[in-house]
Amino acid sequence: MHTRQQGTVLFAGILVLIGTLVVIQLWLLTAALEALLARSYQVLLPATVASVVLFGFNAALLRYVVIFDAKVRREEPVERR
Amino acid sequence: MGDDSQIEARWREDFPVRWDADHYLTRRELAKFLTLGSGILACATGALAIAARESPREEYPALLIPSATQLLPGTSLLFRYPTVQDPCILIKTGSGELKAYSQVCTHLSCAVRYDAEGNTIACPCHRGFFAVEDGRPTGGPPTRGLPRVVLQARADGIYAIGMEP
Repeated sequence: MHTRQQGTVLFAGILVLIGTLVVIQLWLLTAALEALLARSYQVLLPATVASVVLFGFNAALLRYVVIFDAKVRREEPVERR
Repeated sequence: MGDDSQIEARWREDFPVRWDADHYLTRRELAKFLTLGSGILACATGALAIAARESPREEYPALLIPSATQLLPGTSLLFRYPTVQDPCILIKTGSGELKAYSQVCTHLSCAVRYDAEGNTIACPCHRGFFAVEDGRPTGGPPTRGLPRVVLQARADGIYAIGMEP
């Protein structure tokens, strides 16, 4: 039970972090679109690189959550069902 | 029958009786959904970069602007460049300098006008303002400057020879 409570807090924190990174990516996309319309092409590549890096962070966080979740399920299979 | 039991099991997983299990599942799926969205956003930003790289560079013709030499200081005239679908405005400032910009407001594409009294380019739709000197936005909703028309003085008149963002 203790582990699950810790996991819930951890999971909520990770979720907030993922959501924040997605909002930053959304801002990068709008900035890139604005730059494309203004023909400021030099902005587009850094924006893409930053967005891909943020996606990498998100994927790593999700992977951590999935592994953590599987570990908790293994440890408490009866209580969960 | 096997499919029905699987669907029911999935349904019970999505809508569990226990409150904490419901929250736990919802958060995990939201995390997956957000990460999927994150990937889509990264791809979309990359697609914009590719679109910019693949777009062909425009070549602009040289076009004589009729009666540009007869323009009085503090007045403007309209012309179309580089095609007949592209309205532009030629301005002769009080100091006698010629400036030309696209007449399409970068906010919502209204036609901008030259305001000689305020020495500014104004968009009447949403009160957007641009500097006459370089077309940068100076007030109102527009965030991007007006594209500038490159001018060239030749023996037979003033020519538009290109566009700059």
